[in-house]
Amino acid sequence: MGRGVMLMSGGIDSPVALYYLLRQGHEVVAVHMDNRPFTDDSPLEKVVDHLTILRERFHQPIPLYVVPHGSTQVTLMRSTDRHVGCILCRRFMWRSAERIALRENATFLITGEALGQVASQTLSNMRSATQAVGLPIVRPLVGLDKQEIEAVAKEIGTYGISTRPGVCCQAVPDRPATRSRLLSILEEEARVDAEAILDDCVRRATVM
Amino acid sequence: MTTDDRTPRTGAPVRYRALRLCSNGGGFEAVPDRRAALDLPRFRRTLEASGIPVLDARVMLIVRLPLEVTISQGGRFLFKTRDPERAREAFVQLAGLLGLDDRLAPPPGG
Repeated sequence: MGRGVMLMSGGIDSPVALYYLLRQGHEVVAVHMDNRPFTDDSPLEKVVDHLTILRERFHQPIPLYVVPHGSTQVTLMRSTDRHVGCILCRRFMWRSAERIALRENATFLITGEALGQVASQTLSNMRSATQAVGLPIVRPLVGLDKQEIEAVAKEIGTYGISTRPGVCCQAVPDRPATRSRLLSILEEEARVDAEAILDDCVRRATVM
Repeated sequence: MTTDDRTPRTGAPVRYRALRLCSNGGGFEAVPDRRAALDLPRFRRTLEASGIPVLDARVMLIVRLPLEVTISQGGRFLFKTRDPERAREAFVQLAGLLGLDDRLAPPPGG
């Protein structure tokens, strides 16, 4: 079985996606992109609690990398078009995860994304975001609807954690782009020093 | 209140009706009665002159009172606390510093 890196947000979907991978016998390293001060402490607390449940269930250590992402958001907000902020944000998340994958000898990335659950989860946006990385991306939930995902979350005991109160990401623009052109995304991204941002974030990541 | 803190459409002063729980229940927000165009650079200067740390993200300020407050360009204040009284106190403090009306109007029907 393979070793993958999973992006964990604290929401309903990511622990369910992780559950499916662990059930198949894969080894997983978790990554949480810490969006403070654009959120509060709750997403990280939820991820820690999700992992406690899944570690016990599957008897796997599941290391958790916490990557500071708030400073990246500030740089993007100051320098790039707000409408594509969510796509640029995702590109940095994916690249951070990929760097950790290389460090951890992992060969694929995992996400709890499904199509169309939020405005920014469109095929063109996913393509624009994932073009940033070379490792294959596994999306265990892509064919499930929200009710199915919630049913599994309740069954495995993560739903109540995911739905605890918390502050939504304040960096989300009022009108996020739903259809993006890769070329214009790359032009926007060129306004910032992506390599320096990534170097800094991954260097400051902590392991829990 | 300066003209910068008035809604562009009508020129009327910004009013805040009430504090309400934000959508995920993690904080309280004060929302203006119509879309505003707050002068964030002026707010930043004023707050920093008062010794309050401010993170400037261009379209929003993140203020540490030490309670953390996000002030959006469109006029929304988000208070990262689940205690409505702490949120109200923070709103009054900020409104006083920034020259905004600090009387939260009662919610409709309230």
